Amino acid sequence: MIYKVSYVVIGGEHPGAIMNQTNMPQVGDHVEIGNRVFEITEVHEVMPPRGDFQFLHATVRPLPDGDAEAGGKTEKEKGE
Amino acid sequence: MDDLIKLLKTVELFEGLSDEQLRRLAEISREERYERGDEIFAQGDEGDKVYIIRRGQVEVVIDRRSGAPRSQIYLGQGQIFGEMALVDMGPRSATVRCIRDGTVLDVIKRGDFIRLCEEDTAIGYIVMRNMAADLSFKLRHYNLAQY
Repeated sequence: MIYKVSYVVIGGEHPGAIMNQTNMPQVGDHVEIGNRVFEITEVHEVMPPRGDFQFLHATVRPLPDGDAEAGGKTEKEKGE
Repeated sequence: MDDLIKLLKTVELFEGLSDEQLRRLAEISREERYERGDEIFAQGDEGDKVYIIRRGQVEVVIDRRSGAPRSQIYLGQGQIFGEMALVDMGPRSATVRCIRDGTVLDVIKRGDFIRLCEEDTAIGYIVMRNMAADLSFKLRHYNLAQY
């Protein structure tokens, strides 16, 4: 299954991101958008799956600089 | 070629195409590589290509003439951009910059794509349906990001 995820940043001016990933995003996971790392705070389905694709919306909050190593794993780390 | 077809299967734009149809699309796609800071195209440019992000991330920026240019969205692996030029043939509506070193894009020229769709209308139907779904997803993202 491929997860197409809309990441929306809570608060601030960051426009968020859309990206595909092979792991289902989970609350507490970290995601790299541009040169910043965010923590996922909520995940829900946007529309029904089609073919091998599942469509999700996730809200994220920016991690303070230096907090990227704490807590959850990024998609990249999960793939390693 | 087999690796490229495998990769194309992970792109929503091509969901529903057979291996043979994916092979024909792979034949007209060309790989481009970018580094962080590279401008892929600028707002107002003439647009005749659609881009698929194989690896890396890009930033989409719009200059509204009032105020500083504003970032609209970041796009990562599997996403498409530049598709509006395929649909309406207008100038680029935004500037797109690479924000990750080693970003790899698959690029399809409009003329090549239109020719392929005329030869195999099923490809045209499926890709255009998926493109509409992608635009819808982007609109949903934009709407959610407003709150």
